[in-house]
Amino acid sequence: MSDSTVPPIPPAPAAPSARPGLSVPDLLVALGVVLLGALLLAGTLRIPFGINAVVGPRVFPLIVSVGTLLLGALLTVNVLRGGRAEPAAEEDTDPDAQPDLRQPGLILGGFLLGAALLQPLGFVIGTALMYFSVGFAFGERRAPLLAGVALAVALVTYVVFTRGLGLTLPPGILKGVL
Amino acid sequence: MEAVTSLLAGFETALTPLNLLWALIGVTLGTLVGVLPGIGPALTVALLLPVTAKLPPVSAFIMFAGIYYGGMFGGSTTSILLNTPGESSSIITALEGNRMARKGRAAAALATAAIGSFVAGTIGTVLLTFAAPAIANVAVMIPPSAKFALIMLAFVTISATFGASPLRGLISLFFGLTIGLIGTDLQSGQARFTLGRPELLDGIEFVTVVIGLFAVGETLFVASRLRKDRASVIKLDGNASMTRDDWRRSWKPWLRGTALGFPFGAIPAGGAEIPTFLSYTLERRLSRHPEEFGRGAIEGVAGPEAANNASAAGVLVPLLTLGLPTSATAAILLAAFQQYGLQPGPLLFVTNGDLVWGLIASLYIGNVMLLALNLPLAPVWARLLLIPRPFLYAGILVFSTVGVYSLNNSVFDLVLLAIFGVIGYGMRRFDFPVTPAIIGVILGPVAESQFRTALQQSNGNPAIFLQSPLTVFILLTVLAALIVPPVLKARAARRV
Repeated sequence: MSDSTVPPIPPAPAAPSARPGLSVPDLLVALGVVLLGALLLAGTLRIPFGINAVVGPRVFPLIVSVGTLLLGALLTVNVLRGGRAEPAAEEDTDPDAQPDLRQPGLILGGFLLGAALLQPLGFVIGTALMYFSVGFAFGERRAPLLAGVALAVALVTYVVFTRGLGLTLPPGILKGVL
Repeated sequence: MEAVTSLLAGFETALTPLNLLWALIGVTLGTLVGVLPGIGPALTVALLLPVTAKLPPVSAFIMFAGIYYGGMFGGSTTSILLNTPGESSSIITALEGNRMARKGRAAAALATAAIGSFVAGTIGTVLLTFAAPAIANVAVMIPPSAKFALIMLAFVTISATFGASPLRGLISLFFGLTIGLIGTDLQSGQARFTLGRPELLDGIEFVTVVIGLFAVGETLFVASRLRKDRASVIKLDGNASMTRDDWRRSWKPWLRGTALGFPFGAIPAGGAEIPTFLSYTLERRLSRHPEEFGRGAIEGVAGPEAANNASAAGVLVPLLTLGLPTSATAAILLAAFQQYGLQPGPLLFVTNGDLVWGLIASLYIGNVMLLALNLPLAPVWARLLLIPRPFLYAGILVFSTVGVYSLNNSVFDLVLLAIFGVIGYGMRRFDFPVTPAIIGVILGPVAESQFRTALQQSNGNPAIFLQSPLTVFILLTVLAALIVPPVLKARAARRV
């Protein structure tokens, strides 16, 4: 999303909620809600009628899908009339910062890779990988330190949850060692 | 008094050495996780669910009671020392408390928050002790049609009335309802929306939804627009303590805040935001130092913090007596009950009396423990705020993974977690509140079951929803809650 060549966006004008113009991301979200409603409706019609039931398994999903369609339509109208969402202001976020989608992408990639390796390599290595990717995405660049902490946290978590609380987590290649 | 005898029996359950230990672990873990920035009470309870997985139900709920109150206590520390409220009901505490801390009065702000929370929590728990059984007695007679109407009321008030945009709140609610539909229909055995995946036949675990939307969504969102300059944590030297003058100015706001907070928590119209804001306004009106408000007035911390904790006790009234959660945290507690095969509601007091009363007794115990933990140990908790952000968020993600993976030992659940994380990111980016979705996931199936039971009693005639005066009254309230706020808003906009 954010290349270094992209010029910084000028600061928002005094009345930020009334910015004119159509917001394409907002429109896509609104249409996404409509699409979800439509898919739900299609799925609802494929649910068989219950036998011997006064109210079958279809009725409630029907209400939910029609409701979703209606709400999606209302949101679409709202966006077409210039409505747009303000991103949430969280504790550690900077509302004026240029959003950088590479960082969440890095976290997500690390998470899915760690999840895939959880069974074959074990819980400790899988979650250490996840820990490392989050720490790196949040700007920690001392890689050996981060890797050490990641392994330590994963190891302690594994021991506490399996020994202390009796949960089963996959040991993976560390089987026998732990 | 029947309630007193039951409560004494509850204390007998809760006061065994082992259960006291679980309560202590609960309040400690609750405070520990609640202090961490970015984690509100709802997520605190959800993240700590796996810790209780192997405990017997009574001990698990005693621990939950501690986690619930501990998470609330921890939140005020973060608000005061870091100016970062973990949930909207802590905004006022952050507003006044952080100003106090900046003026070098952090110790007094933390003390009035902790003692006020103790006072409010204890009075609230007393009220719960006497109100809950009485309401449960009445609630047994409520017909399914009225229960369905009550759930509608909770849906509408949580998603439409108080949020910035009713439309976005309702969309979030319907998203939650959609997730709740997935899985096998209990009455007919039909599979619904499982996309042919056998993993989805049992539905999606609420823990996966909650942790995905809250914790993973938050991590992704914060990473995308990280604040480069670190927020300044205010140093705390010594214990949390108050002067004689602080006491004199605090005790009345504590009591008034409690009086506001409890009823707002107890009615199925949810949220601790309203009573905390009301308390703040009230204290400002009554104060002899109104000029101090906005610059660090101790009344402005004492009142809202008491209101916040009293409403946390109040929320347990509809939860235990009607099975109706009116906040995200209560919804997670409800789901925790369901995991143990328990359905909160009027019958719970009869069928699982020892559990309910053990839980209530441990609320008293937890409050005392929290006071003892928070005043002298305040500097220890304050140090947790210094954990560098990369290590903090990485740790949250690893804990999320343990919580979700340990449910079914399934990697499929972790993929779902990632999907809900992306959705949680989108909800923050596009301003959809998360709480209505959580309420929808957990209450949706209950709503459907009451809806169908009501219609079965009338042989499918929808007029059943218009026959009981109680049902009609609640449904009219729902309608009013949907229509009145937008009308008022439109009128106010026209006048400007």
